[in-house]
Amino acid sequence: MALTPLEAVRSDSTPLASPDAPAAKKIAGRSPSRIAFDRLRADKVAVGCTAIVLFFILVGIFAPLICKIFGVELRETPGAEALNIFTGYALIGPPEHSFTWEAPLGLQPGTGNDLLAEWVYGARTSLEVATIATVTTTIVGVVVGLIAGFARGWLDRIISFILDLFLSFPFLLGALTLAPIIVNRYATDEGKLDRAQFFSLIFVLTFFGWMGLARLVRGEVLSLREREFVQAARIIGVPTRSILFRELLPNLVAPIVVSISLGLPAFVTAEAGLAYLGIGLTSRPSWGQTISRAIPYFQDYWLYLWAPVLGVMLLVLALNLLGDSVRDAFDPKTRR
Amino acid sequence: MTIVVARGSNTPRKGYYMYWKRPMAAVSVLALTALAACGGGDNDGETSTGDPSDSATSFIEGGGAGQNQDAEAPVPVAEIEGAVAGGDIDVLSISGLTTMHPSEAYYVNTASILSNLVVRSLTQYIYDAESKQMVLVPDLATDLGTPNDDFTEWTFTLRDGIKYEDGSPVTPEDVGFGILASFDRDTFPDGAAYSNDYFLNGDKYKGPYSDPQGDCDCVTVSGNDITIKMAGPFPDMPYWGAFPAISPIPEAKAKDPNAYARHPLATGPYKFGDYKPGDTLELVRNDQWDQATDAARHAYPDSYNMDFNTPSATIDQTILADQGDAQTTMTYDNVLAPDLAKAKQSGNLVTGGQPCTAFWYPDSRKPEWKDINVRKALGYAYSYADAWLAGGEIVGVTRIPGTTIQPPGIPSRPEEYDVLGNGGERSDTEQAKQLLTDADALGTEVKFLYVTSDPLSVDAKNANVKTLTEAGFEPKPVAVADSTAAAEMRADPNAPLNLRSGGWCSDWPSGASWMPPLFGPTGGANYAYFDEKAVNTQIKEIQASPIDEQADLWAALDEEIMTKYYPVVNTGYYGVAALHGSAIQGFLNDDVFGMPTWKDIHVQE
Repeated sequence: MALTPLEAVRSDSTPLASPDAPAAKKIAGRSPSRIAFDRLRADKVAVGCTAIVLFFILVGIFAPLICKIFGVELRETPGAEALNIFTGYALIGPPEHSFTWEAPLGLQPGTGNDLLAEWVYGARTSLEVATIATVTTTIVGVVVGLIAGFARGWLDRIISFILDLFLSFPFLLGALTLAPIIVNRYATDEGKLDRAQFFSLIFVLTFFGWMGLARLVRGEVLSLREREFVQAARIIGVPTRSILFRELLPNLVAPIVVSISLGLPAFVTAEAGLAYLGIGLTSRPSWGQTISRAIPYFQDYWLYLWAPVLGVMLLVLALNLLGDSVRDAFDPKTRR
Repeated sequence: MTIVVARGSNTPRKGYYMYWKRPMAAVSVLALTALAACGGGDNDGETSTGDPSDSATSFIEGGGAGQNQDAEAPVPVAEIEGAVAGGDIDVLSISGLTTMHPSEAYYVNTASILSNLVVRSLTQYIYDAESKQMVLVPDLATDLGTPNDDFTEWTFTLRDGIKYEDGSPVTPEDVGFGILASFDRDTFPDGAAYSNDYFLNGDKYKGPYSDPQGDCDCVTVSGNDITIKMAGPFPDMPYWGAFPAISPIPEAKAKDPNAYARHPLATGPYKFGDYKPGDTLELVRNDQWDQATDAARHAYPDSYNMDFNTPSATIDQTILADQGDAQTTMTYDNVLAPDLAKAKQSGNLVTGGQPCTAFWYPDSRKPEWKDINVRKALGYAYSYADAWLAGGEIVGVTRIPGTTIQPPGIPSRPEEYDVLGNGGERSDTEQAKQLLTDADALGTEVKFLYVTSDPLSVDAKNANVKTLTEAGFEPKPVAVADSTAAAEMRADPNAPLNLRSGGWCSDWPSGASWMPPLFGPTGGANYAYFDEKAVNTQIKEIQASPIDEQADLWAALDEEIMTKYYPVVNTGYYGVAALHGSAIQGFLNDDVFGMPTWKDIHVQE
């Protein structure tokens, strides 16, 4: 994945030892996916991480409901009337007053926006971007990889060249260049600008994110296409498309699932990183934006900074560990 | 001079954009007593909690801005009691210096550093501890100049024994060449244009670099006397004489303006050491400077090391920690809002006024602003304190509510008047809606700039969008990606905007440096594109009237423009809140610039 510049926390270290489930000695036919799933279920780290990821997904989906339960509103901007005019801090909650359920994470200094609402909607943005970007990169990567691997000859060489070409583009530079163009183009319409920023972010993440998977899939296909079942299918005249998607794709599930599970956290960090730099999403809540705003306050109002930092950290860590577990489960060679 | 204020810092750029909102009860004007460094004044030992009595009034309004003159100032200047020479001072700032060519330095930071430390001009300012204001005193000239009867000709006499850093003598011809260079708008497009505006042939002569054969025929040298002819009466010449643009430049050594900008020859107490434009500047002692010829400069520290790439949060934390070298570190950037409480407790915070006013300028060429009531509705709909707080300003410290065009400290400032009756600090969206309804202008679009990459700008925009919407306007904020693009777009008369924001600072304490640039037909800061025949005539009449009457006439015009036309919304005056290390003494606010009093700074033993 060509996302390295922003990939802050990316733990490739192996998670805590997960004891292999001693399979029941019952003899039964089980698919590779079934076996992997069973291994996952027995893996405590995987289960714990799944719970955390599920928590964030639920937070994202039910963001409006959560805000309603806590009685807070997104970007209400009460302004000076809710603030200590001399310090800019809120009249309720931290850092100048004690905890209150009216604003569990406090109010943003300077504007009085509720930070819980900001956090909850930030989780939604984060997951939205990461999920969509993962889906699009996976589709592009798999299709290109399948074609390149199966094509042989000039088509394979061209696609491989394009792959190398894309890998040589600096991701951050691309994002930096695109941001002002988008802002200029949609300068006068806030709604359109917001959507344009969203889609351009997905576009940038996809544009610079599909090559890794494509290479992986191409490599797998290269070895698979010489196998007997593929040869047989070709001899009996199965159309190429069917061979690709019916015969080859099912055998690629493992690497694709692994790639997805490791791609998600990378996109979460990339989204936050770009928002932090002011070249990602700027008009809707995003953890990166909150972090960027909170930095001058780190001494006096640590909660302001730590809430989004912990959000990113926990989500990325859980996704990464889960990804490792998925990889272990699908790959019989990494027995532990 | 226009300045840019970005975030909590005095980013002195040409043109700036910002937003603000409503502050506490207006502090009384000219409460200059509180302007000095608050030497440990607010040791209440805890973060302030919103008690309005808490030091609100210990903050300033505006500045004296140097309207006092003293042609007889003693030379050399008296020593400061207890001050000793020595020590190295570090200066931190977030914004890089633009050009340091004396003819072009026109930003508050470049002009202040050059004229206080490096380059001597005809006149200069000195801090007067008694009145706590800046006073204009002679510098290279022996007095503040001698005008003829109608101020169309000024004569300055150059002091003897002035040398450049390389030991060569400063000649009156060099001063003459410096004056000629100040005409050169093609070579120095960002420089101040007062020579072009007021000197004889200023409109025709292109300057020595663009037109080597030409001459303005306005400067004559005889002996040590330099005589300058004006195109019309120019009583404020001694003030213009304090700019680095009116300083000696040796023609033979300044053939290449770009090279000269990297190392202007010093006549003052410090010369350029290592200089990386936009990054760092080292100033070291100039042993050719003779204190015996100087009426204001002390030059106690051995050197200054300036770094212009330090983030605001880092500056605050470094100086507040006050460890090691940080004790001799200072900044002229404003402290960030979250650090204010600690800065006040440290006793090393310098607050004061800056002779600047921020405005919202509705573009008078657009039909939607033709009705004065719609413009007034805009004044009621501005979100004052909300926008100020959201934009990272410290209400009452770095932004002070105001209703008059000219800020406190300008002698031609009128008595307080309040066209909207909101103290320059209260939004009243109901009143605005009423005005809009009566004018049948509900849903008037308001198109103003904000910067997407700056969260503070986005927050301030949101605050204004909220009140504008409540008031019945239809806000259509225009996004730009960064502040450079914002400055460019704001300066473009055909940009898709109908409202611009910006600020104006006086170049010297006179209405002549306020009304013509802001509301005159060729005004450099007339972002409202305000053009009323009656006002134009009045400006001309005032400029031609006797000097001692001008201040009152400018004051009357100030009130008349706002009452009769309300062409701009006053979005507050500027203030300074700068930090220095505990070992630095003599750091006060130079209210002409809103910069430190460099000449008096010294390091405690």
